[in-house]
Amino acid sequence: MDFPSIIQSIQDSAPAQWMRTSVKAMPFVESLHVLAAATLFGTIFIVDLRLLGFPDTRRSFTAISREMLRLTWAAFFVAVIAGALMFAANAHTYVGNTAFRLKMLALVAAGVNMTIFQGITIRTVSAWDRDARPPLAGRVAGVLSILLWISVIFFARWIGFTKGYDFSIPQDSHINFQF
Amino acid sequence: MHAFAGWLQETPFSHTIQDVSWIIPLLQSIHIVMIGVVFVSSLMIALRVLGKMRADEPFPAVWQRFAPWMWTGLCVMACTGLILVAGEPIREFTALSFWIKMALVLLGVTGTALYGRALRNFIGAGPAQFPATAKLASVLIVVLWLAIIFLGRAIAYDREVWGALSLHA
Repeated sequence: MDFPSIIQSIQDSAPAQWMRTSVKAMPFVESLHVLAAATLFGTIFIVDLRLLGFPDTRRSFTAISREMLRLTWAAFFVAVIAGALMFAANAHTYVGNTAFRLKMLALVAAGVNMTIFQGITIRTVSAWDRDARPPLAGRVAGVLSILLWISVIFFARWIGFTKGYDFSIPQDSHINFQF
Repeated sequence: MHAFAGWLQETPFSHTIQDVSWIIPLLQSIHIVMIGVVFVSSLMIALRVLGKMRADEPFPAVWQRFAPWMWTGLCVMACTGLILVAGEPIREFTALSFWIKMALVLLGVTGTALYGRALRNFIGAGPAQFPATAKLASVLIVVLWLAIIFLGRAIAYDREVWGALSLHA
């Protein structure tokens, strides 16, 4: 199966049709996506700030990182599910949208940054865990993470202004407001 | 109110916001980033009260870590929010979600301020247990922020969310 037909089958899938036809699906799924994204960013931001050496250096890096881990992954999971539903509803439009492509690029870059940090920098953590100022590699990973996740949010919001379709209901239309 | 919204929408300030295509998405993006900071800060404080997070740290230390970020974030959101309203007053004022959101924001901010003051006076060194009322208040405030976040997104979908109750209808 080639790429366009994969996209077409995603757009024709049952969840995608539900997203397009249920009046309430889009606002609820979008809200869930915003909520999950905000939680994801907020929890990652706490860990990143610790890598930069503030504001609470009394707590070790591993303690903060461990505390946030479950919340971060739970939020990521919800964001991916809600995001996949939004994508499916208009798969073709998203694939061709520049803001969406940039968002995916920033998302992958954030993943690579995290993998490098978790694969290499973290090996020496016992030497700097309680330091107010973690090593340069850790601080760089922290700054990159903050900038990349903010970019993800910015590009994501831009999709809504460049996607070229409108979900709002035309005036004078009669619709059943059930799920 | 409609007349006021109409007047506001015709002011030069509002026109600038409407005409420069990147202003509204930029403000909304900043607004969302700040939701992350404020919501998670509030969540951390609530989880500390519930004894689920940083239980080994005294409460005042946890409050000092997160409260400044929460208040600063709220101030930024008030600014971005006000400019967004000035840019699209009719869209906001004719959305039921907007008015409920504003009422809940007022409640959330007042509630957090009162709750913070009450809890800071609760000088417990180490992993002190909070009374049930404090725990309940923590849960309520988190639920309040959740409702506010939902209503924020729902402004764009007033008829879809509220049906016959929508002010747009």
